[in-house]
Amino acid sequence: MNTAVNHSQMSNSRVVAAYFGDIRFELVKMLRTPAFALPTLVFPAMFYLLFGVLMGSAKGNAAAALYSFAGLSVFGTMAPGLFGFGVSLAFEREYGLLVFKQALPMPPGAYLVARMAMAMIFASIISLLMILLAKFLGHVPFSFMQVLKIYVIGVLGVMPFCAIGLCVGAFVSGQAAPAIVNVIYLPMAFLSGLWVPMPILPHAVQQFAPLWPAFHLSQLSLYSLGAPSMGTFASHIASLAGFTIVFFAIAMRRLANGGLRMFGGASGARHMGFPLQRVLSRAVFFAGIGLIVAGVLGGNVAMAPRDAKGPIGVPAPANPVVANFDDGTLKASYGIGWHEADDKTRGGNSISTVRVIEDGAGHSKGALEASGTIRDAIEYPFGGTIFFPKGTEAGDFMNYSGKKTLSFQARGDGRQLTVIFLVGTEAGGIPPMYSFVTSPEWKEVRIKLETLAGMDLKRMQGIAIGAGGAPGEFRFALDDVRIE
Amino acid sequence: MRRADFDTLRPMGEQMSHAPLASLDAVRKRFGKITALDGLDLSVSQGELLALLGPNGAGKSTAISLLLGLQRPDEGSATLFGQDPQEVEARRRIGIMMQEVALSPVMRPREFLTQVASYYPTPYDVQSVIKRLGLEKVADRTYKDLSGGQKRQVQFAMAIVGRPELLFLDEPSVGLDTNARAALWQVVRDLIHEGCSIVLTTHYLEEAEALADRVAVVAHGRLVAGGSVDEIRAHVSRKTIQCRSSLPRAQMQSWPEVVELSDESGRQSIVTRDAEAVLRRLLDADASVRDIEVRRAGLAEAFTELTTTASPNPEART
Repeated sequence: MNTAVNHSQMSNSRVVAAYFGDIRFELVKMLRTPAFALPTLVFPAMFYLLFGVLMGSAKGNAAAALYSFAGLSVFGTMAPGLFGFGVSLAFEREYGLLVFKQALPMPPGAYLVARMAMAMIFASIISLLMILLAKFLGHVPFSFMQVLKIYVIGVLGVMPFCAIGLCVGAFVSGQAAPAIVNVIYLPMAFLSGLWVPMPILPHAVQQFAPLWPAFHLSQLSLYSLGAPSMGTFASHIASLAGFTIVFFAIAMRRLANGGLRMFGGASGARHMGFPLQRVLSRAVFFAGIGLIVAGVLGGNVAMAPRDAKGPIGVPAPANPVVANFDDGTLKASYGIGWHEADDKTRGGNSISTVRVIEDGAGHSKGALEASGTIRDAIEYPFGGTIFFPKGTEAGDFMNYSGKKTLSFQARGDGRQLTVIFLVGTEAGGIPPMYSFVTSPEWKEVRIKLETLAGMDLKRMQGIAIGAGGAPGEFRFALDDVRIE
Repeated sequence: MRRADFDTLRPMGEQMSHAPLASLDAVRKRFGKITALDGLDLSVSQGELLALLGPNGAGKSTAISLLLGLQRPDEGSATLFGQDPQEVEARRRIGIMMQEVALSPVMRPREFLTQVASYYPTPYDVQSVIKRLGLEKVADRTYKDLSGGQKRQVQFAMAIVGRPELLFLDEPSVGLDTNARAALWQVVRDLIHEGCSIVLTTHYLEEAEALADRVAVVAHGRLVAGGSVDEIRAHVSRKTIQCRSSLPRAQMQSWPEVVELSDESGRQSIVTRDAEAVLRRLLDADASVRDIEVRRAGLAEAFTELTTTASPNPEART
């Protein structure tokens, strides 16, 4: 029996009070640390105000405003966990405070619980701030359920970042920690499409995106807002849980090797020789790895918008050839052929001209040439050519399901061009896109349709190819367009 | 005043007869190739102040961290109130002041004390501890604005606020001025009087002399001497005489009481076990001798000597 029972037993209420006292202490400490509190609380809202609200609404692009809301909300969720654990833990490890805390009779786990709670409270403030800005300044039409989902995602989403922060704090010195955390934080935010929408990012970035937890969290946010998103709900949850488990386990192992017991009591050490515990902790670790792998694989699948209901398009013809321009016209083998495309209907003033030229790819008889000028009256200007497969310009869809690739020959002035797929269900969101760069020589472009974010092959309205971005002239030629 | 709070002793349990509060039994601890503790025995009894002395690297800190549950012995056992020191129940009965702890610079002493007090079942009232240590003026200032000495006092307050039965103090008076040190010693004496037991690690022989009931000297991971302060002092009777003398070196060296002699830019240092005899000879032989200064040999040197004479054990350092 425990002979010390009279002196050392603490009432449950005192233990609970100790946990809450630690949370309060941690919160006050972080609020008094401007280097932490200021960027963490202010930057996401400030970026959203600048890029989402001012620039977005001034140019009337509701989709971009929504995307930047989701992306910057996730950006805000990342910081408290990464910095709160990463930097603080590294300092406390280096300057002896962690050892002192170990010797004190802290309730088990209070150290981790207090910091996790601190990160969640910060994240919840950030999330509320973002929701208020989006609702009242960005005029994003949220439903109550959407607000609730975004808030829950924002608060619970701190966990993988707490685990990553813990891992950084367990390995690096206090001096190096802020730099290391920033080196993780900022590139991951970019590569996960938090600042620039995923469909606009280079294809390689899109393909590796499921490796970053922030990507999964932001796709989860887009999904909950009903916007087009990549991956599936399950794949995002799986990989986020997996990242949390794996980084947490690595950090705990590292700290334990340094003689630090993060759960206060002796229980961990006492049962060290007991094989079941080792077996269990390994099983959990490998389950975490499995979840990450499943999530990464699942996250790379482009997903149609969730609410993609309603009529699908007419079946596409079996003939893979769309157009080769060898008859001297802009006709296609089906549909109404290729036309000029610009941004006038969206309020822009870019111009484009399309004609057939001689000497196509592989010295074929003809090719399409588009030329014109991009001007910057609207945020996403465009000029080039467009193909409507079904035949009427403004309506019906073609069902391309079963088709894997779009390929064509292209050459041009070296400008970056974008293929934009107008799918019937994008509904104010960002259409699936693919970017490539032209050269003076003919070059083949092959696009794997299924990998594009937001792709809905059953409802293809039009395929536009052209220039955007910086103002200036453009000239390019296309030939041998095939969908197969 | 809330002094009354301190005068009431916590009732002791029935097992408190003579069982040690904390003990190490034949403990060995290695770090890689270094043997930090090599079969150390140590125990702390109810109501005593045990001073743990020894040169740097002797194993003092390792011994303390085993008693605090920060590390586990490779061999032998460490117990705290009859329990594994890693049990939080055992550590709820101890207070700790460590040597090198950087507390959060943005927090305030009162906040630290409130937080630490919340970990204990029956802590002292925070305000009463602040008053007792005279910290009223600094209790609500941010920690980074305190002087080094004030920071140490805050750390001492954090060690006692939990109403510990056993207090671990690691170099408590480093960085304190004479007054603050005297005040701290007085509180330590009061705590002992109130029934608290204390383990003190220190470099200062004076501190041990002023406070300790019992002294344990650790070197090379073993206990090399133990007993009352007077018993230990007998071991470290060397003194150093410094002076400026024109006597030839050979003459001084020929005096039988001189253990060691060194000369640095005209200033001699004479190490001896009988300072009085050497002084008599010096004054007799050299009427122009100046700048005489006598001081006790540094504790670290004394312990090195103690170790090499008392327990030569080359194995321990490998």
